[in-house]
Amino acid sequence: MQGEIHLEQLTKTFGDVTAVDGIDLRMPGGEFFTMVGPSGCGKTTTLRMIAGFERPTSGRIVLDDVDVAQVPPHKRNVNTVFQSYALFPHLNVADNVGFGLKYKKLTKGEHRKRVAEALGLVQLGDYGKRKPNQLSGGQQQRVALARALVLTPQVLLLDEPLGALDARLRKDLQVELKALQAELGITFVFVTHDQEEALTMSDRVAVMSGGRVEQAGTPREMYEEPATLFVADFLGVSNLISADASPDDGGSALRVGERTLRATSGAMDASGEVKAMIRPERVGVEAQGTTGENRLPGMVERAVYVGSAHELHVRIVGGDLLKATIQNDGSTFAYEEGTPVTLYLPPDAVRVLAPSGGAPAEPEA
Amino acid sequence: MARLRNPWGRPRFLVLVTGFYILWSLIPVALAVLFAFNDGRSRTTWQGFSTRWFTGPTGSVFHDPALQGALQHTLFLGVVCVLVATPIGVALALGLQRWRGPGGGTVNTVMLLPLVTPEIVMGVALLLLFLQVLPGIGLGSSAQIIGQVTFTISYVVVIVRGRLVSIGRDYEEAAADLGAPPHDQLIRVLLPLLAPAIIASAAVVFAISLDDFVVTQYLSGDASTTTVSMLLYASARAAPTPALNALATVALLITLATLGLAYLVYKRFASSDDAAAMAGLEV
Repeated sequence: MQGEIHLEQLTKTFGDVTAVDGIDLRMPGGEFFTMVGPSGCGKTTTLRMIAGFERPTSGRIVLDDVDVAQVPPHKRNVNTVFQSYALFPHLNVADNVGFGLKYKKLTKGEHRKRVAEALGLVQLGDYGKRKPNQLSGGQQQRVALARALVLTPQVLLLDEPLGALDARLRKDLQVELKALQAELGITFVFVTHDQEEALTMSDRVAVMSGGRVEQAGTPREMYEEPATLFVADFLGVSNLISADASPDDGGSALRVGERTLRATSGAMDASGEVKAMIRPERVGVEAQGTTGENRLPGMVERAVYVGSAHELHVRIVGGDLLKATIQNDGSTFAYEEGTPVTLYLPPDAVRVLAPSGGAPAEPEA
Repeated sequence: MARLRNPWGRPRFLVLVTGFYILWSLIPVALAVLFAFNDGRSRTTWQGFSTRWFTGPTGSVFHDPALQGALQHTLFLGVVCVLVATPIGVALALGLQRWRGPGGGTVNTVMLLPLVTPEIVMGVALLLLFLQVLPGIGLGSSAQIIGQVTFTISYVVVIVRGRLVSIGRDYEEAAADLGAPPHDQLIRVLLPLLAPAIIASAAVVFAISLDDFVVTQYLSGDASTTTVSMLLYASARAAPTPALNALATVALLITLATLGLAYLVYKRFASSDDAAAMAGLEV
């Protein structure tokens, strides 16, 4: 498969600041790869190094077995959709789309045909004569896409391309972009700070923080088996329990207050103070006083009705707040605010998290 | 008082001050222009309307050799100054914008120095330069051009850099991304986007060159290098006729026309570019 990118020990420093700190990433050809993280995590700098706008301080950028780290941007078969779109304001839409074709040595007829095809691909066939400032934000975004795709790159880089659009248009374009990527079969490297966008659109996600990759994997792996506290938190599953861990018979024994929980996933070898997470839909809510293994007493602090479900916020021993989702199956709701309850946390649902920046991403295999 | 009555009303006091200021600054100019059309030789007593000081057979702008020569030399200096200062200024602005190494700040400050240096200091310094250090060039047109270019470049740099900053690097990067080598990034993208600023700065350079007196006077050679401003200064005490007013009026018209034209071109470009945060004409 063409368009495969390997980043090897890629580093970029600006003066004293290390923006990207020796990352290794494998982006398989033809996949939708997303780098996600808070601002300043190095995702955009990484993208700009792949595009060639920033020169790596050290490390390799291997595109289809060739190290392109020192190749200037105009000689890389990689194209970019900018966050600002960067459509040339002095050229009309057709000339914008045709800008890069000048370097492809085409006849006039071929040139015109490819511009028309590219505009057709993004459903802007009739807009060739317009100036960029006569288009809406969504349309400008499509022109930017057409301008990059007309060059048939091996890799398309997208720097928060949906950032400037309103929520609804954003949703529509997410679906379109994903469909377009599947249709064209070229590698998309997508940068966003929106974890939902990352999870819904990507074949593979890398969560970045402080210039490093915290974890990379499929959205499912990332969401269900976050390796670090940071990843769990960033991907919006911060249902965390503070505990004192010790390895125990292939699992982990977590001391929470007076009780001990057994956990069988995550960092089993961790000991001492750790965080463990559980997803809200795996928390079982039972009547007060129910006994058995892996049960914790708590008090309902808030009960939020969200239509298809009830979301309970339960304060457990040790002071942590756990969310529990109960499907709304039509039965009477018995857990009003202030009700003491018992929570059942199944051992396989409790995941012990390594501290941030710790062991390399393990669920890669 | 108006504030007490109606906080949303027009600020009358400000309107009054503004109006007074506009009148105060325009009246002398208007008077000077008015007497350019005087029928008599007086520059103070109105003797009827005529265009004799512009087109009359003797002593008029278009027929008196001294006045005509001054006008021609002024325009000559202006055109050459624009042709030399604008490209150098644009190149400097581009270079300074890219400058990432140490010393960038110093160069920036040095670029701005001519804008704040008193012109008389500049004039004296340049005079010494041409007399002592570069006697080969000597005084005259070449020295005048070099002198004017020296300080007008700063205006070009300031205006063009303002526009460069507002353009940002995205367009150049986009061009590079689409396969354009550095030369094409400049020609196909950057210069078209800079066009309004380049035209504006050329107009400003032309207007400043036309108006300049101090540096031009210091570096002038013989009578053939007399400009309008020098002539106005020299003959103000001799036997002035309204022809001087006529000459000043012509210079004023040329300046206004230049700036007006530049403004129109600038607006046309600017309206085709939504990112209207550009360096204005009124830097």
